[in-house]
Formats: sequence, structure tokens, C-alpha cells
Amino acid sequence: MKKYLEVENLSFSYAQRKILDKLTFGVDKGELVGVVGPNGAGKSTLLYLLAGLITPQEGEIVLGGKKAKNLSRRRWSKKVAMVFQEIPPDLEIPSRELVAMGRFPHLGRWQREGESDKEKIAWAMEVTSTSRFSDRMFSELSGGEKQRVMIARALAQEPELLLLDEPTSHLDILHQLEIMEILLQLRRGGVAIVAVFHDLNLVSQFCDKSLLLKEGHLLSFGKVEEVMKAEEVEKLLQVEFLETIHPFSLRPFFMPLQKINNNPSRGRVHLICGGGSGSRFMRELLEAGFSLSLGVVNQLDSDEELAKKLGIPIVQEKPFSPFSSSVVEEAYQLAKKADFIVIVPTYWGRGNLPNLDLAERLVKEGKVVLILEEALNPRFDYAEGKAQEKLKKIIEEGGRVVEDLSTYFSSS
Amino acid sequence: MGGGVLQGIFQNPLVDPYVLGISSGASLGAVFAILGGVYLGYFTVPLFAFGGALLSAFLVFYLGKIGKRFPLEILLLAGVGVGFFFSALVSLGMFLAGEDLHQLVFWTMGGFWNSSWREVKMVLPFLVVGVPILLSFFRELNAFLLGEKVAESMGVEVEKVKKWLLFLVSLLIASAVAVSGVIGFVGLVVPHLVRLLGTRDHRYLLPFSFLLGGGVLLWADTLARSILSPIELPVGIITNLLGAPFFIYLLRARKRNR
Repeated sequence: MKKYLEVENLSFSYAQRKILDKLTFGVDKGELVGVVGPNGAGKSTLLYLLAGLITPQEGEIVLGGKKAKNLSRRRWSKKVAMVFQEIPPDLEIPSRELVAMGRFPHLGRWQREGESDKEKIAWAMEVTSTSRFSDRMFSELSGGEKQRVMIARALAQEPELLLLDEPTSHLDILHQLEIMEILLQLRRGGVAIVAVFHDLNLVSQFCDKSLLLKEGHLLSFGKVEEVMKAEEVEKLLQVEFLETIHPFSLRPFFMPLQKINNNPSRGRVHLICGGGSGSRFMRELLEAGFSLSLGVVNQLDSDEELAKKLGIPIVQEKPFSPFSSSVVEEAYQLAKKADFIVIVPTYWGRGNLPNLDLAERLVKEGKVVLILEEALNPRFDYAEGKAQEKLKKIIEEGGRVVEDLSTYFSSS
Repeated sequence: MGGGVLQGIFQNPLVDPYVLGISSGASLGAVFAILGGVYLGYFTVPLFAFGGALLSAFLVFYLGKIGKRFPLEILLLAGVGVGFFFSALVSLGMFLAGEDLHQLVFWTMGGFWNSSWREVKMVLPFLVVGVPILLSFFRELNAFLLGEKVAESMGVEVEKVKKWLLFLVSLLIASAVAVSGVIGFVGLVVPHLVRLLGTRDHRYLLPFSFLLGGGVLLWADTLARSILSPIELPVGIITNLLGAPFFIYLLRARKRNR
């Protein structure tokens, strides 16, 4: 099946430099495609090519079965409209007049705006919720309102393909979502949309497909759920991401991770944590120059996911299961290699109590075991006071209670 | 109106019809006619001025062209360059003029003292053809307000439109300068006056500039004739005297708005 927009082997060079290299993909009407890539990947160039503002050296753009290069400027603009990244400087023009400019390709030189033009302008302003300030000067509008007027202007062209170059980049989250809502509405109306975004999550949450562009090459193109994987996105942007599933949209959601310095200049710490309680200490300790190990934790525990991502050695138990003795033994072997054992404030139940036995065993062997003061709070104990008892025992055996780690490590 | 169109094309509020070197070209043509002692009937000086104006305009286009495009900043620089060069030639002409000097100086100051219906007839064909066509470009000029790339994405053939507009404006201005001499500041200031009246829409900006431009000139000419009556001042002196302070006021007002 041929798509509405077919791009075949599209290449573009500027001053001997290849900006885009042999791109091939297709977009159907009613599809929202998000383009992602680092700065200088050629994202804007791709949109300029699709809008017919620059001419490719090689390849073909086909719009609804017609080769685009044979279209006149005017007919191209009847099919394709573009919203640019820059919002024009403060214009003393009523918003409605600005939107009306979008009718240009539909009007002859000596023709006046007719009823159908007026209807189209009203529709464009309705979709973008800009009708209520149609008489206000463009210069008086807020950033979000201006962007919506610019989208309305493009819609007045009645495009079958709408291109947007970072339409959300200057907007706060509320206004970003407003723009996405407009795009979803247009998509349902059967418009093909190709938009460049800086925000990975806007693409993963709202777009049907994503096009990952790196150094002018198509890294991958396809359904968001299939294409947007952490490894792929990391390759694209050279940043490490923690990938989760958004609990409501059930789409992938990406959180960037800081670059970490993984050389253990100050020794090794074994963390006893779980349920997300360890995350903040992982960062603190890594930044302070320690290397880490972890365990025991259950699989799918958020501490487990983060640690894996950071390349921290861990000992793990099956999800939601009590720790078995063999796993605890494994953790013991791992923890023995550490210079410090740290028990962080975390909830205790019957399942993870063996972690405290582990600590007790190690403190008896003379290891430095640190307990964060907050961890002694009885509210963490869901094991009928057993956790309290065990912690007390560890302290008796020589475990040290510390208020916070940084004070302890800076004084030692 | 020429000023309105050019300010629209260049997206620069400080542009006036003379940036294309037209005024100095026209002056040079007049210098040739007066000093060369050529006489081809009543219209000798206007004809030469017209030729000079067109010559300079085309020279500017030629120098400002890069490939098939007319990048605006190059075009502006070419206009300034050609203008200076021609002005130098005019000065040289004046220096060597001797007896004809005061005729030359009067011409370059601009005025209507020997205007008659014959001059009107010379300009009329240009107005009748040129003005409606220029007015019909209001949508393109409005689109330019959003920037050339946006205009192009909306279906405006930017380079083609620029070429046509520059050609038409040059022709109109050359015809006007040929009969009146160089009358400064009207083309620059009048479009701003219209904008102060509250529109940036070229649908209204252009016709109002056309009418207001005529009105302002009429008023300035009346002043020129009556202020030192019975001596009639060249109207160019009046427009410069009043236009320059207004221009500076505009500049400062813009700065304050920023």
C-alpha cells in the first residue's frame, strides 16, 4: 500500500556537506510522526525539503501519488503547510488577519476572500482555540497564544500534510500539552503530520510513529512502541536513559541519567536497600567517589532497575518472593568485598529480613556497618518488631548509627 | 507608495525609494543633459533623468544579484555603493558646471515650480499601469511580514515577486524623479505616518501611502511657495527640513519601544 507521503532515497547536501543521506519512509493521512535527533541531525532540513523550500540533490517526494517536484509553488502550498520554529517578531496585525494570510495559495491575484475562505479561517481558529482573541494584535499575545495563531495560519492553507518544527520548544508544559491536543485532533481529522520535537516523551506519549535521525541517516522509523527503546534512544542522543512505562498511556517514558564517574577512588560500599529507598544514596555515594554493590533486592524493584542501569553489581531475588538462603549467601560473598555496609531507611517485612542477618554476620566479622539514624524509626518495621530487634543487635555488635553519610565520610 | 512597497520587501523600516541609487542616477542624467548642452525639446532634462534613474536601478540589480536570487542585504549595499559613486560624478559635474551651476543645484533640490500638465501627462501612463499592479501585490507583501521562508511555504514565489516589485517600483520612481527632481524623505516618512494611523496591512498601507504622499507634497509645495513669498523655495528643502526631524523622532521612538 502506498502512503500519502512517500519519501524515496532523499538526499540533500549543502556546500559539499551531506546533510541528509538516502532517507526512505512513508506517512499516511491521519498519522502523527515525531522526528527526534540531536542538534544538527538534519531535522529542520527534512521539513524544509518536504515543504519544497529547498531542492533535494537526489530522491523523490511523492504527495498523494504525484511527484512533488512537478508541483508549482502554489499547488505545493495547497497540500503542505509548515509551522516554523521561529515565531515572527512582534507584528501589529490582528490575529485573524494573520491567520487569513494562510489563504494565499487559494486566492487569485485579483480575487477577494469569499464565504468559503471565511469559513476555513474560522475553522482554523476554532481548532486552535484562537477565536476569542481574533481581534487582538499578534504582538500582544503570550508565547503559547502566538504559537497557536501560527498553527492556525498553517491550517488556513487546508494542508493534507502539516509540518511543524519544534512547535513546543518555547512553551511551558501546559501549553505544550495544548499544542499536542491540537495535533491529535487534526490527526483524527485525517491530516498527515510530521513534527520535530526535542522532548522524547512528547513523541513517545503522543505520536503514532517516530523517526530517529542521526547525522543525516535514518536510524530507525516505525511505531513508537517498537522504535523507541532505551538502547536505540541512547545511541541517538548519547545520553543514558532510564526507560519505564508511563502508568496511564502505557507508552515508553524516558528519564535521562547523569553521567557518572565510575572510578572508585574512596572504596566500595554495599547498600542494603529496596523499594526505591536506595536511589538517593546511590547517587550521593557515586558522586562522592565510591563504588557500589547492592543486595539482596527483588527483581522489578525500582532500586534494582536503577542499579542495573548504572552498572552496579547486584544480587537479586525473584519478584515479590522472600529471599532464599542461597541468594543471601551470594549477597554475603558480594558484600564481603566492600569496605562499608550501609543500611538505609527502608521498609522491613518478613521477606527482606535476611538482609539484616547478613549485616549482623558481617559486623561480627569486623566489617564497618553503618546504619542511617532514620532507619531505626519503628514506622519502617512491618515485621512485628523483628527488624527493630535485629538492628539493635547489629548496633550492639559494633554497628554505627550515623545521621548522614556525607558527614560521616568527610570526618573519617 | 514606493517607500511602502520597498519597506515591505526589505522588511526594513529605514528603506526609502532612493536606496536603489535612483536619485543619484537621475541627478547624473540631469547633469548630462544640462552640461552636455543637448536639447531634444521640452522634455530633455526629464528624459535624461529618467534614463539615469533606470540605469542606476539596473546597475544595482545587476550588482546585487547572486545566482538567481537577490539577497536583500547585498542589494542594499549595492544601492548604497552605486549611489555614492553616482553622487561623486554629480559633484564632479557641478564643480565643472560654471554658468549652469545654479540650474543644476535647483534640479537636485527638487521642485515643482515649472510643473505643468505636460509633466503630469508624462508620469500618468506609469501611474495608471504601475499603481494598480503594485496594489495587487498586497497579499505577497503581507506574507513577507512573516519572513521570506514562511511566505514561500505559503505559496509566494519570493524571488519572482521581489524581482517584479523592484522593477515596477524603480520604473515609477524614475518617472516621478524625472519630472520633479530629488525630493527627499517623503517616501521614507509617509508609510510610517500611515502605520501610525494604525495599519500594517498592505491592503490599506499602499493606497493610503499613495494618497498621503501626494497630500504631503501638495502641502509642502504650498508652504514652499508662500513662506518667503514671492520667492518660491525648492520643495525638497521643505521636505528635508520637516522630514529629517520626524525621521529621527521615529528612530528614537522605536528604540524606546524595545
